[in-house]
Amino acid sequence: MKTMEAIMTHVKSKPKKKLLSMRRKEELQGYLFLSPWLIGFVCLTAGPMLFSLYGSFTNYDVTSKMDFIGLDNYIRMFTNDDLFWISLWNTIYYVLFSVPLTTVGAIVLALLLNQGVPGMRLYRTIFYLPAVLSGVGVYLLWMQLLAPSTGLVNHFLGLFGIEGPAWLTDPAWTKNALIFMKMWSVGGSMLLYLASLQGVPKSLYEAAEIDGANAIQRFFHITLPMITPVIFFDIVTSLIYGFQIFQEAYVMSDNGDGGPVNSLLFYNLHMWNKAFEVFDMGYAMALSWVLFVVVLILTLINLKLAPRWVHYEGGDES
Amino acid sequence: MKKALSSLVAIVLVFMIFLTGCGNLIGASTESEQRKDGRVQIDFWSFWGSETRRPVIEKIVDDFNKSQDKIFVKYTFIPFGDIWTKELAAVAAGNPPDVVISDLGKLKHRAQKNQVENLGPYVKNDPSIKDRFLPQAWEAVLYNNEPYALPFNLDTYMLFYNKDLFKEAGLDPDKPPKTWDEALEYSHKLDKKNGNKYERIGFYPLWDAGPDIWMVNADGEPYFDKNDKSMIADPENAEALKWIKKFNEKYGLNTIDAFKGEFGQKQSEPFISQKVAMYVKNTTFYTQIRDYGKGMNFGVAPLPERKPGSGHYSWSSGFVAEIPKGSKHVKEAYEFIKYLTDVEAQTYWGAKLFDNVANKHANDKILAQLSGEAKMVYQAAVDNLKLSVMQNMPIKAPDYDKFINPELDQALRGSKPPEKALQDAQAAVLKQMAGQ
Amino acid sequence: MSSFTQPKHSYFQSVRLRKKWMNVLISLLLIAGSILILTPVWWMISTSLKSMQEITRFPPTIIPEEFHFENYINTWKSAPFTLYTLNTLFITTFAVIGSVLSNSLIAYGFAKIRFRGKKVLFAVVLSTMMIPGFVTLIPQYVLFSKLGWLNTALPLIVPPFFGSAFYIFLLRQFFMGIPHEMIEAAKIDGASHFTIWRRIAVPLAKPAIATVAIFAFNSAWNDFQGPLLYLNDEVLYTLQIGLQIFKGEAATQWNYLMAGSLLVLLPVIILFFIFQRYFIEGANITAGIKG
Repeated sequence: MKTMEAIMTHVKSKPKKKLLSMRRKEELQGYLFLSPWLIGFVCLTAGPMLFSLYGSFTNYDVTSKMDFIGLDNYIRMFTNDDLFWISLWNTIYYVLFSVPLTTVGAIVLALLLNQGVPGMRLYRTIFYLPAVLSGVGVYLLWMQLLAPSTGLVNHFLGLFGIEGPAWLTDPAWTKNALIFMKMWSVGGSMLLYLASLQGVPKSLYEAAEIDGANAIQRFFHITLPMITPVIFFDIVTSLIYGFQIFQEAYVMSDNGDGGPVNSLLFYNLHMWNKAFEVFDMGYAMALSWVLFVVVLILTLINLKLAPRWVHYEGGDES
Repeated sequence: MKKALSSLVAIVLVFMIFLTGCGNLIGASTESEQRKDGRVQIDFWSFWGSETRRPVIEKIVDDFNKSQDKIFVKYTFIPFGDIWTKELAAVAAGNPPDVVISDLGKLKHRAQKNQVENLGPYVKNDPSIKDRFLPQAWEAVLYNNEPYALPFNLDTYMLFYNKDLFKEAGLDPDKPPKTWDEALEYSHKLDKKNGNKYERIGFYPLWDAGPDIWMVNADGEPYFDKNDKSMIADPENAEALKWIKKFNEKYGLNTIDAFKGEFGQKQSEPFISQKVAMYVKNTTFYTQIRDYGKGMNFGVAPLPERKPGSGHYSWSSGFVAEIPKGSKHVKEAYEFIKYLTDVEAQTYWGAKLFDNVANKHANDKILAQLSGEAKMVYQAAVDNLKLSVMQNMPIKAPDYDKFINPELDQALRGSKPPEKALQDAQAAVLKQMAGQ
Repeated sequence: MSSFTQPKHSYFQSVRLRKKWMNVLISLLLIAGSILILTPVWWMISTSLKSMQEITRFPPTIIPEEFHFENYINTWKSAPFTLYTLNTLFITTFAVIGSVLSNSLIAYGFAKIRFRGKKVLFAVVLSTMMIPGFVTLIPQYVLFSKLGWLNTALPLIVPPFFGSAFYIFLLRQFFMGIPHEMIEAAKIDGASHFTIWRRIAVPLAKPAIATVAIFAFNSAWNDFQGPLLYLNDEVLYTLQIGLQIFKGEAATQWNYLMAGSLLVLLPVIILFFIFQRYFIEGANITAGIKG
């Protein structure tokens, strides 16, 4: 902040004309750097987004009609759709547990994989593996692993004398099974933390060690602040994507209908059913914009709170 | 030096990929509708891409292409499920394919939404065509009395039972259970327990079958009648649920959940691994027994009936060949689907793949070609089709099952009395229908 | 003198000993974790080597009774997988190049250049992630259809050149870590932002850029929905679509499906194993400059 003021006063003393042109030049460069995104947004992304916003106020069914019906879809959602509330609750439950668990899991894993232990390249590859193993095949594999009496998960729990549940058939356990599955594949975010840990100067640790700081102190005073930008990124994006969980539930419940007893009916699954099973696309679009608002608010709160705990080496946002 | 070399290799590699890609992926010919030979090209999409099905459909397409010189059919495989999302997008964009294999159960809905061509005008010139199909299959393609597709294949659910295990339990292997009570009684004899753990389940009505099959079986009536009037809360349906619940109570939910969990991913097959003595499955299940069952001794029977004389009704569904709205060659496409549902093609399909087809004459011909066990199963299926009822999708609540299934789950898990669950389900569906 | 150094020597020794034990502990943890991770993978390998007869059996066998290595050859021969590989490689190459180039430029713009409306624009960038793809699928498809891009790879390889919110956000976080003074100094030396981006920002964020490259590779390589929607001709199909043929209507060919999935996975793993060194190299550069 101080340097900013210094620069500003420094700049103020210069002739006004030059200042303007300098600022304009900087701005111009900014837009130039952004231009790929701006072009893509205007030409490819904005259109479909606005279309879906308009569609949410219509009875659009893709093929036969698109009449303006005002707020009807939104009113129906809040007053006449029990599945909306169920699916919202299921999704919030999932996000509430999976986001913190996967964040902490990924950080711990990245720390472990950032040690000078022999065979590290191999370990990193192994732990990254689940992030690459994606798609329907993996979910089916998990159904096998989570099988109540022959599945390896319950076998493993059995070693400790714990009788594992019927993960995917007992409605009380289905969401936990999915969260568990997500934990297995934290390899993707682990990679981000690993990349970010490389940016922590070794000299900082050396200095701290000389000052007599122990490993825990070093973690909380050096490592953690240095990786806050990535933690922030991880939380914001996993929140956004967490609310959009879909495929796991679609594959792992009978006929993709979110059973047993709607316990896997996530928000997006409900939306999918509305959009592509019954072609109630206008309603699905309304659902998606409600989700949009919810996630946007949460993200804006995150962005507002960020300056309090996210530490950027390069100085704060200008 | 090393760096220069590796970057050179990288450049060459990218260049090569670019060349191969350019030919195909960027400069891809936008479908020439008029082919060089003057034939009209028909785009035909289906999800038949497996090693067994693909050669059969390709042979049929090939035969058709050779049989005349006006139309050329181009076959494209598109994965199951996603094929219909893609079809919808293509219809919306106004450049759909000309023929798609699609789900029969929701055809009415697609017709109402203007996604498929009305074939009425073509069928009018061709009034005899409906005589080739099984009556319930033809019935199912009608919406407002106009046909919107031609039915292709059907399946039907039957009782498969293990004759060896019958003998072992002291039961007559030629006398499968006739009624619900008998099925329950047999199941006791066929169970195998080790301590209080079940090693083998004598019979469980569900797993591959849904409770809806048993509610159809109870009285031969689907959830909705022809006028979309709800019959969900009929007393016979409650009886079906109560009967299934008896099995849940007998085995315990833990056992049921465990077995379902074991076999839910459809790798291990409980009937073939002799973990289940009686099993409700559709016709093509026979091919799995044939291929992986190592000569297991099994029998097929109609589903047991609610009480003597109530009827061994079963449930059936199938696929149709439809012409998406906006196809540029409806007339030619109709010619092709007519061929697809004619005796020759249907016989070839059914006999090769052991699949019940919609063409009734073909089913007879297929029977003549089969022998032994295969003939026995196919005959049973053809007979069973006569007792099979299709679910009727109410136009105002196409997602009726989303309201019914969670209630059924609750009834079967014992957290709601069956009558109450069915009434709640019916109320939810009616609310949906009124809201539309 | 000696009485003074003695305790210090043993202190360092104990530190070294502690470090050694620490390393053993970490190794044990990593081995345990690896086993946990690899069991599902073992299932895939084991299933891929079984016959279908063996797969239908219950309880499932952990080690195949007979090893059917020919499954891999049969899998490859079941469909034109060589062609699919080339197609996938083509799309993936462009997706990676596009993602790395565009996103690093855009992210630099957001992180290090001052201009009006930045915060709002950044929120708009993030908001593009928040609309579920289902509801934009149809209009997007219609748009590409109007552009005449259907049945070509363009809908798959052009959008990466326009950047994507996830990568923009990610790289922005890393660029934010570059000290302002460094950039101001370069500016005083007369460097344009483009030069700073090329000479300072990108080299400093190498680990992050490698991460974006890896992510972009994976998502393009594993993309199923995109190719499925936009490619109509089977000669244009990608590996992920090709794998679907094993999911039969009556019964899935698990052995081939797993063999195919593993074959498709292999290049990704090899690439990751090799490209890892960028993390380590990146570390040296950063530490070197900052330290």
